[in-house]
Amino acid sequence: MAGLNAAPEAREQFAAIAQLRWRIFVNSLRSLRGRLELVSRIFAGLGFTILGLGGTIGLGAAAWYFFSHDMAEWLALPLWGIFLYWQLFPVMATAFTENFDASNFLRFPLSYRSYFLMRIAYGALDPTTIIGCLWLMGMALGIGIAAPRFFLWGAIVLASFAALNILLGRAIFSWLERWLARRKSREILGLFFFAFIISFQFISPLMNYYLRHYSRNRRPEIASYATQFVAVQRVLPPGLAASALSHATEDEFGVALGALALLCVYGGAFLWLVDVRLRAQFRGENLSESVAPVALPKGKQVIRTGWTLPGLTGPVAAVLEKEFRYLSRSGPMLFNLVMPIVILLIFRFSMVNGPRGGNFLMRGLDFAFPAGAAYALLILSNLTYNSFGTEGAGVQFYFMSPVRFREILFAKNLAQGTLLALEMVLVWIAACVMFRPPAFGMTIATLAGALFAALVNFIVGNLLSLYSPKKFDFAVFGRQRASGVTAFAALGVQIVVFGLAGLAIFMAVYFHNIWLATVILLLLAGGALQGYAFALSRIDGIAISRRESLIAELCRAS
Amino acid sequence: MDAPAIATEHLTRRFGQLVAVDDVNLRVTAGQFFGFLGPNGAGKSTTIKMLTGLLAPSAGRMKILGLDLTANPVEVKRQIGVVPEGMALFGRLTGAEYLNFAARMYGLDRETAAKRTAELLEFMQLADQPKALITDYSHGMQKKLALAAAVIHGPKILFLDEPFEGVDAIASGTLKAMLQRMIARGATIFLTSHVLEIVERLCSHIAIIHQGRLVAQGSIEELRAGVQAHAAPDSSGAPAEKLTLEEIFLRIVGGSRSAEQELSWLG
Repeated sequence: MAGLNAAPEAREQFAAIAQLRWRIFVNSLRSLRGRLELVSRIFAGLGFTILGLGGTIGLGAAAWYFFSHDMAEWLALPLWGIFLYWQLFPVMATAFTENFDASNFLRFPLSYRSYFLMRIAYGALDPTTIIGCLWLMGMALGIGIAAPRFFLWGAIVLASFAALNILLGRAIFSWLERWLARRKSREILGLFFFAFIISFQFISPLMNYYLRHYSRNRRPEIASYATQFVAVQRVLPPGLAASALSHATEDEFGVALGALALLCVYGGAFLWLVDVRLRAQFRGENLSESVAPVALPKGKQVIRTGWTLPGLTGPVAAVLEKEFRYLSRSGPMLFNLVMPIVILLIFRFSMVNGPRGGNFLMRGLDFAFPAGAAYALLILSNLTYNSFGTEGAGVQFYFMSPVRFREILFAKNLAQGTLLALEMVLVWIAACVMFRPPAFGMTIATLAGALFAALVNFIVGNLLSLYSPKKFDFAVFGRQRASGVTAFAALGVQIVVFGLAGLAIFMAVYFHNIWLATVILLLLAGGALQGYAFALSRIDGIAISRRESLIAELCRAS
Repeated sequence: MDAPAIATEHLTRRFGQLVAVDDVNLRVTAGQFFGFLGPNGAGKSTTIKMLTGLLAPSAGRMKILGLDLTANPVEVKRQIGVVPEGMALFGRLTGAEYLNFAARMYGLDRETAAKRTAELLEFMQLADQPKALITDYSHGMQKKLALAAAVIHGPKILFLDEPFEGVDAIASGTLKAMLQRMIARGATIFLTSHVLEIVERLCSHIAIIHQGRLVAQGSIEELRAGVQAHAAPDSSGAPAEKLTLEEIFLRIVGGSRSAEQELSWLG
């Protein structure tokens, strides 16, 4: 056939893929969202440039210092830093979302070699790799300036270390890609990463706590742990690279070569791991998420009847049940449920560290419950201000069904209110255990304040859910933000609500009578209840007038 | 004379400058299996969205079972079932939970909802994945579930937007059997599909929309007779062959391609 080469050249294929990526980028600029994305990328790029150049100079100086002061073994320290950044940062940044499926290219006549190179090359073009390489170049220059005769050896070792990092990064990504291809494993991994990020908040208070309590008595024990760690790290890639450099300065080239050889063995192992994954992809593995049929014994299929809740109509009970089923299957939401308690726990640890680590809760232990309750309310606003965000195409069902929108939103608010009540109970118990049981007056004032705040949030949240919806996936952590309008309005509402509640508390403290705050907050809650009823009575008309944009936004492919 | 199941008068929908549906007057008699056809972008989905309350018309009136849809949306929705373009499923429910939810939203009591859910799951061959979330269902399974949810309350009219798209032969057979059973019991079905063979086999009446305007409406026989009447008479004088629905459709919307436009390099 005319125009068709016998074997397509890999060079042409690479050029075609590069052009495809370029066209995707150019076409993305057609929309306002795409242009805004570009602006944010430029700012991120500036940040990366500063990080890259600053790190290059800093690490170059560190390498120069260690080399010129006979402390080459200390190079392990910056090398570990680079290694951890190189491997962890890209995973944290992208593991929460579905990634571009490069295996789409497999339908073209691509040789395995070309496919392999393409995957490695794509991986090498990310900002983390560029920054990592820049930092290592800085270190090589630092070594070269401190001891010119070791520049070439340093460059070889650090280049091998860079190659190893690229291969390990690709290996991690190719395996993550496999796990993230399935919804369940994606959710479990997301939960794990979220827990990992949250745990960072405990590092400082925990370190302060243990240093304060154990540093004096157990210094030999800590020193023993440190020695063991140093020994173990020497056989891991950053330690091996540092050994290869430090032994060379001591003219022990045999040991240095051995360390480099071991580094290459690690590289080979990572290369093998990448190869295993990519070969499986090349052969056309199936990572389908579709469920396999399970043969059930006849007569075993029992359908449970829906919830019955006294005083609620069938549709309201049905929506309420649906909301709770959704919430119970949402990793991020379950995580959010424990966050107010985590915050109280962090405060608690800070208190243990004494006056310098103390906080306002030390001065008024009764404020632990209102503080936790306020945090719970802030978390609730994630749900309230985007009530339809998680429905996706399901939102059409509400418009097709013979149920008025006021019932649907009432049921959703009921679910959100129940969640808040549950959260308040948990926070109260946590405050009792971690601090002390809050005074009865303070408990009632906090509940009155929460009622007022919740009702105001429901009024504004219901309107914003219809006027400014944003598609949201309950199963995905991170990279999901509310619309700008919603975020701005939510901030304004919280300022007003917390301002009024704060004013009520201030007056109560001023007049030495906490019940004054309760009365003010209950009056405010009464007004908010009337406002809520009025807003709900108008919601059907608003929903009908907003249905097209609501459906368009929520049914949009992500 | 009974009111038609579906009737529109001068139904129009504009999106800015674009007139997606232009002065459409539809009439579907109760009990008909009605096929609504048109090329891509002709206005089929826009019409079905307006008829089911998902989209407001720019002008015109719509009556469903004699009731004005704009004035009586809740009463109308109680009597219709819909499988829209996006299927309107809640991905993080199981199939049984979704059907139960749909039934109760249509006002069925808890026991009836549970009983019909079990029956529909069995009929649609979806009962063997009781714990799977809908988001993990295959496309065909989701289509079957969407249809099950649309019929759980026993609607008098069923609106189906591309119900056979992406559905395998076995699932397609199940869906067709259910639809024919509904017609036999007096329901009206309004369906859009690009698979003309299926439409020809199932539907008794057809309407064709092209560039937003209704260009043909009637029984398949009436459309065939209309097309053949407009065609040039055969010089041999032999009786004309019976046209298939695809041929009728192509003649009405003008889908033939000239020989010059053929892709010569395809051999």
